[in-house]
Amino acid sequence: MRLELRKAFVKDIQWGDTTKLENNVLYVNMEEAKASVLDDENFVDVDLDLARPGESVRIIPVKDAIEPRIKLEGGESFFPGFFAPMEPVGEGATLVLKGAAVITCGPLVGIQEGFIDMSGPAAPYNPFSGTYNLVMVAKPVDNLEKHAYERSLRDAGLKLSIYLAEKCMDAKIDDVEVYEKGTIPEENEKYPDLPKITYFCMSITQGLLHDTFLYAADMKNIVPTMVHPNEILDGAMVSGNCVSACDKNTTYHHVNDPIVLELYKRHGKEINFLGVIPTLESTVLAGKQRSTWMNAMLAKMMGADGVVISEEGYGNPDTDLCMNAKKCEDMGIKTVVISDEAAGEDGSSQGLADATPEMNGFVSAGNVNEMIEVPPMDKVIGYEESIAYVSGGAVESLREDGSMYVELQSIIGSTNELGFSKLGCEWV
Amino acid sequence: MVREIENVAGIPVVQIATIVPIMMTVGTNRIVPGVAIPHPVGDPEAGPEGDRKKRRELLMRALKAMTTEVHEQTIFEK
Repeated sequence: MRLELRKAFVKDIQWGDTTKLENNVLYVNMEEAKASVLDDENFVDVDLDLARPGESVRIIPVKDAIEPRIKLEGGESFFPGFFAPMEPVGEGATLVLKGAAVITCGPLVGIQEGFIDMSGPAAPYNPFSGTYNLVMVAKPVDNLEKHAYERSLRDAGLKLSIYLAEKCMDAKIDDVEVYEKGTIPEENEKYPDLPKITYFCMSITQGLLHDTFLYAADMKNIVPTMVHPNEILDGAMVSGNCVSACDKNTTYHHVNDPIVLELYKRHGKEINFLGVIPTLESTVLAGKQRSTWMNAMLAKMMGADGVVISEEGYGNPDTDLCMNAKKCEDMGIKTVVISDEAAGEDGSSQGLADATPEMNGFVSAGNVNEMIEVPPMDKVIGYEESIAYVSGGAVESLREDGSMYVELQSIIGSTNELGFSKLGCEWV
Repeated sequence: MVREIENVAGIPVVQIATIVPIMMTVGTNRIVPGVAIPHPVGDPEAGPEGDRKKRRELLMRALKAMTTEVHEQTIFEK
């Protein structure tokens, strides 16, 4: 399987008469962009806004972030099962508007969303302070059922990102990256002496607005399966999560999964990267037992020597994390896990809700409870009062002058467990 | 909290929760496995009658656990 990511760099975003990418400036026709999402009867209207790195802008509450991508060869549109045909992805060529993001926002869907500051002390904690953002603020119809609202917001973000990419299909390409890897037997023959590594991408699959989609399948209803890493990079996974902002994997994170990219970089040199196992975090014990057993068995049958395990969220998924590590280690497969910690404001509490001695390789992505003071921003896109209902925020978080005193967990992506953040912890 | 109530007040505590390994890790002595994280002490998917039956069954099991002497962490499956 061979995938070319053709990257056109976005270094500014502006309103324009025509949506296009010219001289690395993404021009957006506001009315046309709006029209691309307003065919949804659940929306009365949407507002669009722009947010650039360094601006005094706060976006709140943020639902999802999406990188504009579209198939140029070997497929059409993007996000299979949603807006692309229900066919395997990961082959051919894909346009990436690198440096741009669509951010979806609107009256709070679930209690666990977060914010983005484009400048100030919170900016370094989230990746979207560094992207040129088209922000969509949805105005849903009255009394819209929450799950229907979540679906509409999710779809709108995907549609808007595809719209942008589609209008830029003839943009000048600044960089091309090739991701190529054969079948497991082919790669085993090429690299017989390299350790075989797989990756469990644990995903929140708990219903009640905590869902992840694989080829548009609601993952809480599937059993773990294996995919080629190219499929992840080419839009197979979509976030439908209103979960704690700091460590949710947005749709942007999935297509840029740093674990996939790093394992790929080392493939054929230090390791033999077998493939990715997108897996569940169930709300029932039997579900956790089933999926972790199946993950370990899949890894074993693929001949894995080692597995990288990333968590999404914290709390009860810590048990899935422990079970995944234990079952693999018991089978002789080495593990390393990436997780954040909920260790209290001063970091002195137990970081995870669960523990097991077999979880012997641990990479921390930071402490979600650490407090941060953020100054007022000149402009707020969205609804700043929603900080009261965001995980990591409280009624008293928002002060009269617009400044906030909040936990890191209220910042989108601050302790991302794919390693898509700058935070870590030191062993003391 | 479970351990502190037992240690300080000397009152036996039964914990009903879904993820048994976490209760084992934190040191709960009397454990009754619950149904699911969003509804540990009921089963709304079983309909009103099934839900009521499940709730009663869990409560009765918890009372049984509370009156049973234990010498180590014990999971009351039934």
